Amino acid sequence: MSNITTYLAELKMEELPQEVEKELAAGKDPKEILAECQEGMVIVGEKFANEEYYVSDLIMSGVLFKEVAALLEPHLKQGDVEYKGKVVLGTVENDVHDIGKDIVGNMLKASGFEVVDLGVDVPPQKFVDALKESDAKVLALSCLLASCYDSILATVNAVKDSGLRDQVKIVIGGGPVDETIVDYSGADAYGVNAQDAVDLCEGAIK
Amino acid sequence: MIFIGEKINGTIPAIQKAILAKDRDAIADIATKQAQAGADFIDVNAGTDPSRELDDMMWLIGIVEEVCDTPICLDSSAPTTIEKTINVVKQTPMVNSINADKAKLDLLLPLIKERGACVIALAMDESKSGMPKSIEERMEALDIIFNATQKIGLDDSKVFVDPLIMSVSTDYKAGLLAFDCIRKIKEDHPDAHITGGLSNISFGLPKRELINRTFLTLAMALGMDSAVVDPLNTALIESLKATELLLGKDMFCRNYTTSFKKNFESK
Repeated sequence: MSNITTYLAELKMEELPQEVEKELAAGKDPKEILAECQEGMVIVGEKFANEEYYVSDLIMSGVLFKEVAALLEPHLKQGDVEYKGKVVLGTVENDVHDIGKDIVGNMLKASGFEVVDLGVDVPPQKFVDALKESDAKVLALSCLLASCYDSILATVNAVKDSGLRDQVKIVIGGGPVDETIVDYSGADAYGVNAQDAVDLCEGAIK
Repeated sequence: MIFIGEKINGTIPAIQKAILAKDRDAIADIATKQAQAGADFIDVNAGTDPSRELDDMMWLIGIVEEVCDTPICLDSSAPTTIEKTINVVKQTPMVNSINADKAKLDLLLPLIKERGACVIALAMDESKSGMPKSIEERMEALDIIFNATQKIGLDDSKVFVDPLIMSVSTDYKAGLLAFDCIRKIKEDHPDAHITGGLSNISFGLPKRELINRTFLTLAMALGMDSAVVDPLNTALIESLKATELLLGKDMFCRNYTTSFKKNFESK
């Protein structure tokens, strides 16, 4: 495992940026560094899934990843970064929870997705507009309130009405969401944590 | 949080026995365990008869320095014992303690300043009276002490003020008094540290350990940043970690979560 992957996986706040600077100065391809970081983020996600890491560790990994991305940015040329795919992400209408959505957004970005984050309390039509504009093939909806299941349903229906339903996978997540809500809303799948969300999105673009 | 490990103290019967029997291994074991538990200083108090105290101190210091690199907190009420040990110890020590007693300040402060040591300052004047009753009495004693430390050029950050925590069993407002006192000291001397023994507060009550660590939590919120403790007490370390977390001193909760994985076995 490369130093960069190890430092990110072990959340070494001081060593990681130092190593990135050092390797950049030594002429290493920034794309390779980015790939090693993504590998590290995958390990962080696995550790979280194994309950070895906690939510605070996920947040920290997101901050570290952003920090490295900022260091790499001046060295990357246009078109250097290839995304795995695009995801439109947001918390459904009438729900303003953002922590889970933000963690999922960070993990998706770190895993190589381009993320269109629409924020919280997003009306169905706004999701549809973003799908059209971005040409994303995955829609990820966050919902923490049982009272907002109908917002998931309304969003899925809006996608159906727009004619995009057969081109877009819809994945949902959030505390109370489970298989019954997938059935109720007509979405495609649900995830229980951030790593699950990444796996679902990767599955959706295959 | 700066922990001063309190376990090598000749006033504790088991330690006294070990000192008198010259049981080297017993002392080495306690020193090692405190160092491993993350003590920042290891307090060494021979607590024996004045005629042999210095020899016993030297013997204890030798053992502690042999088994760990943790700095020593030289604990003696006899200024001459401090005088004769302060330049013997390898690491820069802490001195336990001074108070507003002029004779002691005059003798010890130049030595402390020269060695670059830290010092515990008791908020009392032993030349005048025993334990102070009020906050005012404590602050008066501290005024004398800080006048002396500042005059000699000893930085406030080298001074660890002990506000002298009393027991709630004899005065149910003793906790409150300690908190008010901590707040006042922090106002007047923001760079000084606040320390103290945690066990007085719970004297004479059941489940003392609960009272001690709850006191620590509240005192930390008001600015206490050091304590004289048993660093092997994992329940205390649990409270410490949770408190640091809640006071915004633990970025990404990293200390808390990593300590949890190690069963809070060290600070």
